[in-house]
Amino acid sequence: MAKKLTASDVPIGATAPELRHVLTRTDLVRYAGASGDFNPMHHDEVKATGAGQPSVFGHGMLSMGFLATAITSYVGVGNVAEFSVRFAKQTWPGEELVTQVTVTGTREENGTTLVDLDVRLTNAEGEEKVLGNASAWIGE
Amino acid sequence: MSVDHSEALAALVGMSTGFPTVALDLVNEPMIRHWAEAMGDTNPVYFDAVAGVTAGLGGIVAPPTMLQAWSMVGLTGTLKRESSRGEKKDLENANDTMMRLLDEEGLTSVVATNCEQEYDRPLRPGERIAMRATIETISDVKKTGLGVGRFTTSLSEFFSVDESFPSDPSLRDAALAKAERVGTMRFRILKFAPQASAPAKPPRPKPALTQDNAFFFEGLNEGKLLIQRCTACATLRHPPLPACGKCESLEWDTIESKGSGEIYSFVVVHYPQVPSFDYPLPIALVALDEGTRIVANVSIDPEHIAIGQRVIARIETFDNDLSLPVFDLDTGA
Repeated sequence: MAKKLTASDVPIGATAPELRHVLTRTDLVRYAGASGDFNPMHHDEVKATGAGQPSVFGHGMLSMGFLATAITSYVGVGNVAEFSVRFAKQTWPGEELVTQVTVTGTREENGTTLVDLDVRLTNAEGEEKVLGNASAWIGE
Repeated sequence: MSVDHSEALAALVGMSTGFPTVALDLVNEPMIRHWAEAMGDTNPVYFDAVAGVTAGLGGIVAPPTMLQAWSMVGLTGTLKRESSRGEKKDLENANDTMMRLLDEEGLTSVVATNCEQEYDRPLRPGERIAMRATIETISDVKKTGLGVGRFTTSLSEFFSVDESFPSDPSLRDAALAKAERVGTMRFRILKFAPQASAPAKPPRPKPALTQDNAFFFEGLNEGKLLIQRCTACATLRHPPLPACGKCESLEWDTIESKGSGEIYSFVVVHYPQVPSFDYPLPIALVALDEGTRIVANVSIDPEHIAIGQRVIARIETFDNDLSLPVFDLDTGA
């Protein structure tokens, strides 16, 4: 089992180190290949603009994955139990994406202790892109 | 919405979207590395077995959000699915049917709205992943910021299976009952009817300028409503003509009208419609106080326009280069 997370690692109100990344078209191509998501809206500028979009835009699951990086780096890869998001806004090449992960509480469930995290991805201007929550197992 | 498939859609809720599928590839280190690179994630547990052991993971593991990527059909599968869409209805799975019914309702666009994943444990290179997906909910038609649409939720369950997992799709459900579940994903999408953006109005037809009528349009460009006057008998005339209708003189000049008058007659055009104009379109014959009549648009509500109403002209510029008089109700203010 993964290295245990302890309650003192994740006090309520604590925040994970912020990750920042300027999204590029190369990121979108790389993610399409890595995930198998070949929806042309994410890599084909001609089709995307033809469909009325200003440009290609990021995969929702890429945003979710980027946010997950901030979470797993904080609580440990093997400890994440749940991760739920709402896709609020599209992400665009050239935007700087910023992660926010905040500890909101702990709870008991089926004999295990979970820490709850409020997670969000915004651009540098603070526009919310992906909002959600995650939980991780705390070992004793 | 032209078609309502509510009943047929309701019948799909709870159905699995087809036989369980098996991932094209085993969980493997190269794809884990590609994924981590795409995320800019340098966590060594994705690359380095020793780091994985040190972290208590027993070796390299896959990133949790990669859960669903193992079951993606890849580019070849995507193209195949797109090319056969809507063709062989008998080969459709429940998900294909749902998407087709939604398309038929005019809900042709799609956007992902929510994703919820649960991870039972990390996945390791060499594992074979099978997936079973179920249509969990299909909402009523809702009004959203993007347009009217229906939200649908699918539940995907992921299992770790071994090489004994049946290749016969019809035997797979039974095999999954004994397999270890490794995670789940709920995916919610909105299928919606894109709001038609109003097509740009074409410009108004331009008048054909002649040496007889050019003064009228040039005057409007300068903000003046000019009316032709016979210099022989002082009779006003409109629309512009080469000769006086009363004394046949070819000599004329112009006066600047104050633009005041009353509605002598009017029509409200409903049909035929020319795309440059808004309908119903009131058009009035205005008796100018100076003593001739002019046809022009009026700003008065078609329901309330009436013969005898006092009106006053203003000059409005259309499409940035066509100035025309428009008559407003003269309230005496």
